[in-house]
Amino acid sequence: MGFYVLSYLCIVVFIVAAAHLVYRQLTLPVHVRWEIYPVQHETTDKLSHGGSYMEDLNWWEKKHKSSLLNEAKYMIPEILLIRGLWKENKSLWRVSFPFHFGLYLMIAAFFLLVLNGLVILWGGSCLPPGGAARGLLNSLIVLTGWTGLILGTMGSVGMLCRRLADPELREFSSFADYFNIAFILLFFLFGFLTCLSGDPSLEGGKEYVFGLLTGGSSLNGYAPGQSFTSGVTIVLASLLAAYIPLTHMSHMFMKYFLYHDVKWDDAPNLPGGPTEAIILKNLALKPTWKAKHVEADGRKSWLDIASSAPKEIK
Amino acid sequence: MKKILKPSDMAKPSDCLCHIEPGDLSPLPPPYEDFNQTTIPPLKPDRVKNIETSLDDTVAIGIPKPATKEAEEELVRQFLSGLKKLFEKENNWTFLQPLMLSMEHCAKCQTCSDACPVYEMSGRKDIYRPMFRAEVLRWINNKYLKPGGKITAKLTGDIDLNWTTIARLAELAYRCTLCRRCATVCPIGVDNGLITHEIRKLFSQEMGIAPKEIHEKGTVQHLKVGSTTGMNSLAAKDSVDFIEEEMEEITGYKVSIPWDVEGADILLLHNAGEIIAWPENVGAFAIIFQAAGLSWTMSSEAVGYDAVNYGLWYDDVQFSRVAVKHADIARRLKVKKIVMGECGHAHKALTVIADRLLTGGINIPRESAMVTLEDIVMSGKLKFEPQKNNFPVTLHDPCNYVRLMGIVEPQRRILRKIAPGFREMTPHGVDNYCCGGGSGFAIMSGYNFAEWRTLVSSRKKFLQILNAFKDEPLDVPKYVCAPCSNCKGAIRDIINHYQAEERSNLHYGGLVELIVNAMVGMKKPIINFGDEPSWK
Repeated sequence: MGFYVLSYLCIVVFIVAAAHLVYRQLTLPVHVRWEIYPVQHETTDKLSHGGSYMEDLNWWEKKHKSSLLNEAKYMIPEILLIRGLWKENKSLWRVSFPFHFGLYLMIAAFFLLVLNGLVILWGGSCLPPGGAARGLLNSLIVLTGWTGLILGTMGSVGMLCRRLADPELREFSSFADYFNIAFILLFFLFGFLTCLSGDPSLEGGKEYVFGLLTGGSSLNGYAPGQSFTSGVTIVLASLLAAYIPLTHMSHMFMKYFLYHDVKWDDAPNLPGGPTEAIILKNLALKPTWKAKHVEADGRKSWLDIASSAPKEIK
Repeated sequence: MKKILKPSDMAKPSDCLCHIEPGDLSPLPPPYEDFNQTTIPPLKPDRVKNIETSLDDTVAIGIPKPATKEAEEELVRQFLSGLKKLFEKENNWTFLQPLMLSMEHCAKCQTCSDACPVYEMSGRKDIYRPMFRAEVLRWINNKYLKPGGKITAKLTGDIDLNWTTIARLAELAYRCTLCRRCATVCPIGVDNGLITHEIRKLFSQEMGIAPKEIHEKGTVQHLKVGSTTGMNSLAAKDSVDFIEEEMEEITGYKVSIPWDVEGADILLLHNAGEIIAWPENVGAFAIIFQAAGLSWTMSSEAVGYDAVNYGLWYDDVQFSRVAVKHADIARRLKVKKIVMGECGHAHKALTVIADRLLTGGINIPRESAMVTLEDIVMSGKLKFEPQKNNFPVTLHDPCNYVRLMGIVEPQRRILRKIAPGFREMTPHGVDNYCCGGGSGFAIMSGYNFAEWRTLVSSRKKFLQILNAFKDEPLDVPKYVCAPCSNCKGAIRDIINHYQAEERSNLHYGGLVELIVNAMVGMKKPIINFGDEPSWK
């Protein structure tokens, strides 16, 4: 039961930490525009050269068009294949891609295991044992699991070696950077060894996730941690889930905000539009910067300060 | 093997943390090889004995050395107080979210380094890596402001915070042109240019530390006198009178530059530096707008005849004051839109950054002159003889309105129509390289900073320009079209420093000059190559 308690705790930490990160982003004040082109949701005629709607005469009189398709055409390869790194830093991509794709496949495998557990809970009525759909699910679990473990192990060994061997990376890396990669490597390695040493179809994973869904019920007399490697894998996987949102590795999902809320945030503040009210709220904030020319005293608002001339220029 | 400098080295005392030796800088091709052993001229000891100079071979700010240990400690306290404020919405709502995201998600993959022209051209000096100064700030923030930071610093990056660290960091914030090329290549979306911008703000807004060219002689003078050039309204009008006469001589017809016309369609904002240094640019705009029959005006009110907003580079408060002034002048003139002349940072300042600052009556639409000019040139209102521009032309893309605003094609469509010798630089458009004068560098020349700029930060642009014309004979006159005042300043200094007019017959100017140069009916060319007119 200890394994399950640890996993539950780690899942809770993951959810709380990730929710905190996302909530904090959603509640930050609207910042000034700081986009950088190309903005990938631009329409094709503009995107082809990195242009913006501001290339149009009297652009504010036209309806602001954007293309979800163009954004998806960029984001899908970016997320799945890390295309930005492929374009800008190919040698690093060769180790970074298997590392990241291995992690994606492990996440996919986990959700497939959850699906498998739900199917069992429903008595297998939707996907009967022995049926083609159940067979496909089992095959997908094996495929994603094995591929993820192999790619992830190779990728994390590669990342570790690269960081140790390349002086440009090594000299700017801290203990935490090595620890993070080593942690993930250990998870992949123990997962890989567990499968290799007697669980090629990930039966242990299926049983453990079923237990997670049911508060510890066992199938076929399964008990977590029957082998040393499987026990370590469960512990490492659980701790890793809790650890990621506490580190810079949360870029896995926080990248959404880096792109959508900053790099591509080109939404104009049209006269009389809804953004003006938000801006007025920001302008009511009261800064306390100390430099003389600012003339902030904690009582004056940004609006007061921006619309006044400081003493040194009077 | 060279020793790699780490962020923690910023705290270790030495006379010069990073020195450029002869031969370190990226080599230049013929006929400029004789510059390849050149280095930055040493600082004059008597001029710098009382200021901080321990970062590298130059000085941008010239921070006075604190007189006592107590004064040093007070400055360290002020720094930490300012750093804390960068993460408070009351003090930094303007950039809080972008700053937090970039501070928290760098994977230290160094992809940004290869995108940075300063780092590349310097001979890959570690302190000029885009992530270096960002990492210094991260380490300080983690260690001194986060709970348990003194312990976690041993695991995440340990740096001592003393006056040396801070003085060097202030200077280092002025070794980046804020071109944000690094941000375009970051796979995660981290923006080290933004972190540099925020470091500059911390020093200015909390400690009152900024280069005098951009603060005292910049925004302060702008708000006090009316222009960063020091020119008051009367002087501006006098200069423009002179420009009108000059243009009449060139064009053969009377050009009238309208001032303070209430109800005009367009308020044209020029960088006032154009009036002084490149009057033909102001004149060419007037010829085009007049010939096209536009309803337009300039403003003679203080601040209104100078489009610049140096606050963009270092101080949100000064930025806001200038932007509000510009917009309020447009409101009182009751214009339909503001058109930004050939000034890149002024474009971005008023069109993009100030967009979430201006509300109500002062939220007046802003448009790039590139767009207005494209409409005029393509409309058929003006007639052209493109063969008058029958010389090699290349286009410099100002970062501020190309990569940072997406104004990419209008200027190209114009050039394709009026300049048959137009060819692109490599790379160009949103992938362009900065002129090296961005973020205030073009106007900063105290101590030996101008030499550092032409040798290091502008070097990549010089190589790009030479490469664009590599198939042309050296004696053929060539024109670098740089539709931005700061970029023109930086390119002028490159040409002078490397004697490129004498060696490669290299010239520079804006876009409107090329347009007028090709217009039908001009008595004389507006573009001359030294003493030679561009057409007869």
